[in-house]
Amino acid sequence: MFDRDPAGVRIELRGLTKHYPGQPAPAVDNVNLDIPAGELVVFVGPSGCGKTTTMKMINRLVEPTSGEIRIGGEDVLNLHPDELRRHIGYAIQQVGLFPHLTVGENVALVPKLLGWPAAKVADRVEELLSLVNLEPGAYHDRYPRQLSGGQQQRVGVARALAADPPVMLMDEPFGATDPITREHLQSEFAKLQKKLRKTIIFVTHDFEEAITLGDRIAVLRERSHIAQYDTPANILAAPADDYVAGFIGQDATLKRLALLTVDDVPAVGPVPSSNGLPRVDAGTSLREALDTMVAHGSDRCATPSGVLTYTALCEAVGTDGAKTGHEEVAAGDR
Amino acid sequence: MTADTIAIGRSGAPVRASGLRHVLTPAAIAVVLVALYAWVSTLELDSIERRSLNREVIVAKVVEHLQMTVAATALVVIIAVPLGIVASRSRNRFITPVILTAGNLGQAVPCIGLLVLATFVLGVGFQTALVGLVIYAVLPVLRNTMVGLQQIDPALVESARGMGMTKGQVLRRVELKLAVPAILAGLRTALVLTVGVATLGAFVAAGGLGELIINGLKLNRMPVTIVGGVLTACIAFFIDWLGSLAEKLLKPRGM
Repeated sequence: MFDRDPAGVRIELRGLTKHYPGQPAPAVDNVNLDIPAGELVVFVGPSGCGKTTTMKMINRLVEPTSGEIRIGGEDVLNLHPDELRRHIGYAIQQVGLFPHLTVGENVALVPKLLGWPAAKVADRVEELLSLVNLEPGAYHDRYPRQLSGGQQQRVGVARALAADPPVMLMDEPFGATDPITREHLQSEFAKLQKKLRKTIIFVTHDFEEAITLGDRIAVLRERSHIAQYDTPANILAAPADDYVAGFIGQDATLKRLALLTVDDVPAVGPVPSSNGLPRVDAGTSLREALDTMVAHGSDRCATPSGVLTYTALCEAVGTDGAKTGHEEVAAGDR
Repeated sequence: MTADTIAIGRSGAPVRASGLRHVLTPAAIAVVLVALYAWVSTLELDSIERRSLNREVIVAKVVEHLQMTVAATALVVIIAVPLGIVASRSRNRFITPVILTAGNLGQAVPCIGLLVLATFVLGVGFQTALVGLVIYAVLPVLRNTMVGLQQIDPALVESARGMGMTKGQVLRRVELKLAVPAILAGLRTALVLTVGVATLGAFVAAGGLGELIINGLKLNRMPVTIVGGVLTACIAFFIDWLGSLAEKLLKPRGM
């Protein structure tokens, strides 16, 4: 099958349509999409826009009415659905850990379904629990009920990764956690994905999450029509229409600043010593740097490599810093 | 609830409370049986009473009673659990009401009437009593199997399917496992019902403790009726106690 190589493979959707019997309009209408190998593509859209249905057609939890799905060039509709699903990672918002199985048994499920030898399964479970930052010795034999929401979501991700599938489908996998845990899980997951390079389809209605995690974002409207499909930076810089702009909200520029870090901007001047400038660490996003500057009433701040100016910030997002007044930016930062 | 606490070992108090309950029931039953024996020993039994109240007869009747109960319940499990599974599948939702109505009818119709009707077809004896008992006791197990399967979080079934389990694997490894507590509770109810209703077996010459009760009434010998009644009640309590132990032991860990 397409998973001989655990690195991501390309997914192609062609004319993908789902029309439920008795419904006047199709739930998903003629979706055409190419998802490059090893990229994380976020489907973002309002509830009921068909994003989840589109995703579920890829592992055939929902059978398409018409159209074509190719994973790594292989026509998915010719494969046996159960067999297919064992080769695609799947994580959902409700997590769906089996309460009567321990964490270890939950993670081991798919490798066992695939008939891996017991020793290999055991090693893999250990490896995965460490990968999602759960100490295997402490968590292996616990039951899901004994874990916090965030820990359950981690186990959910570990379980989806268990058989090292090249493709993962994730339906708001961090949706059911509190904002702090959620942010934490997102940044951990982003790091993980940087390492693993799976092809991931990630469904969410949270545009912030889409920007944080996505290599590309597909903004969907009703019936899963694609309003725009591009990188987060491009969508923020040039939304295709009002619908997409509405999704982004009023602070598109701030969101773009959030995508860049102080390391992306050439710093000017010498490495400052303690000359009174507010300081930010390496890896700080430009948005946080701006926040620091505004908070200190300064138009520059010190980074480990030099001085970051307000003008440099504006140039980084393609606006002319000299023309825009400080007050305006401060007003936008509400 | 107590079993969870034991599994986690979070606190000792509930364990002790349930442990006490598990000792209390058999102790109470023993006390009642000893008191019954002591009371009967003080009585001057006449020849009619002696014919019923002796060790051979009582042991024989208890054994018959238990045979009826166990055989009927075993049949109930064989019939009601698969029926419950069939009725809980969403694609069978059209026949679900039919199955449920049949189950309800079995319990709504008076058992004595069922037994009489069964006699016309099967004659008298053990198998006739069995038919009546099974029809009567199917409902709790059927219902609980259905409810136990339907109450499972749909997200669990979806994630199981999404991971590539076949429908059979989802049923065996996830749904039935999680429905075990509900099914066992239904079974416990069915068993207790059956113990009581099995006294009616005496009307179709299937023996059992009902025979003592009926003979005592017919011949106006109260001690005979009381012994039959108390023994039936004690068996019902004892079986209920066994059921509670089984529920505790067979309940999946982690729940």
